[in-house]
Amino acid sequence: MAEWNAYYQNEDEYVDRDEFEVDYKCAGRDSLVFLVDASKEMFIRGEDGEPSPFDMTMQCVHSVYTSKIISSDKDLVALVFYGTEQSKNPRNTFEHVYVYHDLDSPGARRVKDVDGLRGENGAQVADETMGSGKTNLVEALWCCSNLYSDVKLRLSYKRLMIFTCRDTPHRGDCERDRQARTKAGDLKETVVPLWHLPGGFDVSLFFCDVVSPPEDESELGLQMEPCGKLEDLRKRVRAKEMKKRSMARLNLCLGEGMNVAVGVYITVRQTKKPNAVKLYRDNNEPVHTKTRLYHTQTGSLLLPSDTKRAQVYAGRQIVMEKDEVDVIKKFSDPGLELIGFKPMERLKLHHHLRSALFIYPEEETVTGSACVFTALLRRCSERNVFALCKYTQIRNSSPRFLALVPQREELDEGQAQIEAPGFHGIFLPYADDIRNLDAPQLPTASDAQVDKMKEIVHKLSFKYRSDAFENPVLQQHYRYLEALALDPMAPEHIEEHIEDHTVPKVKMIDQCLGSLAQEFKDLVFTLASGKLGKEQYTEEAGGAEKKPKVEMSEDELRARVQKGTLQFGVKVTGTKKRELIDTLKAQLAK
Amino acid sequence: FQQNRCNEYSPGNVLVSVNPPLLEISGSCPCVLPNKDTLVLCLDVGFSMSNSATGQEPPFQQAKKVIQKFVQRQVFAENKDELGLVLFGSDNTKNNLAKDDQYQNISVHRHLMIPNFELLEEIQNDVQPGSQQADWLDALVVCMDLLQNETLGKKYERLNIVMLTDLNTPSSPDQLDIIIGNLKRAGITLQFFLPFPVDGGGSNPPHGGKALSREQQQGLEMTKKVMMSLDEEDVTGVCNPDLSVFKRVEKRPMAWPCTLTIGSSLSIKIVGYKAVCEERPRKSWSVVDAQTHQKDDIKRDVVYCLNDDEETEVQKDDTIQGYRYGSDIVPFSKVDQDQMKYKTDGKSFAVLGFTKQSMINRHQFVGTQVLKVFAPKDDEHAGVALSGLIRALDDLKMVAVVRYVYARNGNPQVGAAFPCIKEKYECLVYVQLPFMEDLRQYSFPSLENNKKYTPSEDQLSAVDSLIDSMMLVEEDGEKKDLFKVNHIPNPQYQRLFQCLHHRAVNPSVPLPPMDPWLTTALQRPLAVATRCQAPLETLKKKFPLKEVVKKKELKTSKELFGNSCLGTGRSTSLAELFGNG
Repeated sequence: MAEWNAYYQNEDEYVDRDEFEVDYKCAGRDSLVFLVDASKEMFIRGEDGEPSPFDMTMQCVHSVYTSKIISSDKDLVALVFYGTEQSKNPRNTFEHVYVYHDLDSPGARRVKDVDGLRGENGAQVADETMGSGKTNLVEALWCCSNLYSDVKLRLSYKRLMIFTCRDTPHRGDCERDRQARTKAGDLKETVVPLWHLPGGFDVSLFFCDVVSPPEDESELGLQMEPCGKLEDLRKRVRAKEMKKRSMARLNLCLGEGMNVAVGVYITVRQTKKPNAVKLYRDNNEPVHTKTRLYHTQTGSLLLPSDTKRAQVYAGRQIVMEKDEVDVIKKFSDPGLELIGFKPMERLKLHHHLRSALFIYPEEETVTGSACVFTALLRRCSERNVFALCKYTQIRNSSPRFLALVPQREELDEGQAQIEAPGFHGIFLPYADDIRNLDAPQLPTASDAQVDKMKEIVHKLSFKYRSDAFENPVLQQHYRYLEALALDPMAPEHIEEHIEDHTVPKVKMIDQCLGSLAQEFKDLVFTLASGKLGKEQYTEEAGGAEKKPKVEMSEDELRARVQKGTLQFGVKVTGTKKRELIDTLKAQLAK
Repeated sequence: FQQNRCNEYSPGNVLVSVNPPLLEISGSCPCVLPNKDTLVLCLDVGFSMSNSATGQEPPFQQAKKVIQKFVQRQVFAENKDELGLVLFGSDNTKNNLAKDDQYQNISVHRHLMIPNFELLEEIQNDVQPGSQQADWLDALVVCMDLLQNETLGKKYERLNIVMLTDLNTPSSPDQLDIIIGNLKRAGITLQFFLPFPVDGGGSNPPHGGKALSREQQQGLEMTKKVMMSLDEEDVTGVCNPDLSVFKRVEKRPMAWPCTLTIGSSLSIKIVGYKAVCEERPRKSWSVVDAQTHQKDDIKRDVVYCLNDDEETEVQKDDTIQGYRYGSDIVPFSKVDQDQMKYKTDGKSFAVLGFTKQSMINRHQFVGTQVLKVFAPKDDEHAGVALSGLIRALDDLKMVAVVRYVYARNGNPQVGAAFPCIKEKYECLVYVQLPFMEDLRQYSFPSLENNKKYTPSEDQLSAVDSLIDSMMLVEEDGEKKDLFKVNHIPNPQYQRLFQCLHHRAVNPSVPLPPMDPWLTTALQRPLAVATRCQAPLETLKKKFPLKEVVKKKELKTSKELFGNSCLGTGRSTSLAELFGNG
């Protein structure tokens, strides 16, 4: 983003507002309540030493807390246990319901609290503080609904997730079941995707009636499959805990009079370290800044209308109104305009400028949109073509061209969605964005060299997953902040180091390769008619263990130098060896 | 103007595809040539230049536009290239060679100078068609004389002359060989812009145009002779339809030397270059006082306020920094900051492993650039080693997953290095991949498994016809691409410079409308637009669309969709039309 800043360096007000930022003030806050079963069954460990359902749930909650802090720290989260011995809730009107965290944005303390509930110790802590007792889901649901209504902020998206391993919470008490269903029915607006844990869970016994119908009937299948593994559970919670927010609702114009309503989404976007905030020294409260314009001569405050904008070219200052500067950027109204179609192979891999968008129909805005969209998606995919569109994001933004690449829905074995159906919008570069490079003319590799490299590639091949790498910069930043937040006095004590997966595991790689690396190098040097020195390859080559230890007494060394029989068994390059020996000789000649 | 090229400025010609739209301006890149160029524009203003077939723009106007565009580009590029302007066929005579009846009606309008807005104003206001005629070869000699005299003792990378004429004057070919010899000796390159196609010997009238006159045919022969003798490579194609003629000034690519490592024992020297990256203009707007237009009359002042009712101001010195951790705000010192920072050892391009290309999702690319990675140009061993890797990856359809660090203490990236094998070179193409924190795994309701949205066979075939009619790449023969985005100059900057130019020479006049060529360049190609009419009509009938008007959101939805694209007014009426059926 350095260049971006440079572009706007002397003009704060020109820093384009973050294009992808969703206006939370308008939209309200998201909220999420974890309603977790705390009965004895939840604490039973799996047969193969698998963590207990309770433990797994706490790990999930922990990861949601920390990811909320990183990606959306304004969202509200609550943690409520049911089936407890102790009761703790705002008015203490509900029995066997323990509100561990009421609805609030998560902070360091809460992260630590949840951390404390993990593992063996966590089970003990849970037992001591809450214990396991009778189950009354009705009361628990009531309590949760009160949590929502107690919040003074405007809530945009309310979710409640139930974690349990018991498919008959009331052990066949029909009256209670009925009441719980009724209460869940009352909560329909807000509730309830369900996250149940392993062990032959039969949804039809009770929970199918408690879960509110999904946004769309097709989603039904996704949620009813019980979910046993921690990874799966975590993934599903992640997919569900965030509200899909469209950054724009636009018309996809296929031609005159044919406007399909679509939503534009961001499914991948670089999460950056947040900016620091300024605090008042005396009370550590955040301060805000105000920018004012003064007239240098008169000292009077200037209104924006008292200013104009200027650039200087060829010694001439060119002045425009601010409105003119804005309107220059305008080409067409916001929207997507279909230009035509191209075969997929015309989409060049290296034509990449920024993260892609995701386009999905908005049936609620224009009825019929989903049908055209689906037909277009299907035929583009089957015919292996992409749609080329002109894209104007907001008023007064200049157009960019997008390749709309069809993406059909993909499900995993558990019927969970891996790829959502829709078009990926790939930004295409203009002529200005492509740089001409002079490629060096160099010899190419022989088949033998290529084959040897293939062996190396095979040895080091792995299954890449896009969610496999955490950002070490962010992780370290938040790890420190968490520690500092809990104990401001002792930042030095933070010894804990994050595991950085971006650093190559050199030892492992070396081990895997064995002699292959050397063999490849030998091939490069013997087969290529090299005029150049070998240094670059041998410098780091060999590794310590390959170098035989040369140990001799100074006298012996001196004798050898005099006889001129000094030899190293080490493969060092000519110059290096020469230098070494020269240095040595010089030293011993003294 | 790097090579001798003969171009014409008539739109829609056969041989040369250099249309005015391609005369792009680019103020975004500074000139980085070691030495400056110098160029003389030689414009025919003789009376025949004002003649044109009905409905066509006179050659003079076309030529003037070419010149304006070119000078505009030079002004905004702010390089040190010098430029002269010679008019011939002018009513007056003003040149060093004029004597008796020699070299008459040729006027050196501007001596070699760095182009500025004054020149643009002169071209706009003072350069007008004349009533005389002059020999274009004489004009060429005047230009050569100008170059020779005014570059004496100065260093120039290139000397160029650009001729804009319809060749419609009798000219004497007896001096031609001497002129060619002088051009060669002085190292002057020559370029022609003619208002008609150049192939076919000129006997066939260009479509819609007039047949060439005898003078023009003779002139064309001479032109070809000059061009051929100056640049033998161009013999066949007198005009090379290469678009680079008015190419923007290139930014010199910044080399990023590094070492590609695989474990501790295999390292290959590499050099990375930015290959694709969003280009931004070099200059930004500054705020000036509305009355005086002075930047210095305005001072910006930032004050810090407490979040209390009075917004009490506090001194900057009384503030410290902190970071948010969810609901907590953690104050921190400089020491904390240094300790908190993730540290990297230095630049890195370290292979973490290899994976199938199919495991990398194109739509998950992140970052704002693409790097091309080569071996250093004089290192054959590195070249062979890297080539081995590139070819192995290409054969196996795999990529290298690498840790990339630009410089010491830069943030590390994980990215994919794709093999790229071209006819002339091989390289790795590096793109950044997302971190876990960057992904939003939204799930969306199924479309194809939803009965409500399942299109009928009938509807699908309507979509098929639309796709057929709107294919931008023609299947037959050469597979011509009708809409190459990577050949369109960024319209934002074209428009910006158009407006800056306009305002600079007409300070008090409202901004002009968009250049028509720019509007056209961003639209569906005419051929496609025509072809898809019928399939589009069918599509409309097969897929009824109806806008949902929610009472509450009436206003916003109007705002959002009322004017967008080609107008919802039509779509509403469409909804009415098809609402019942």
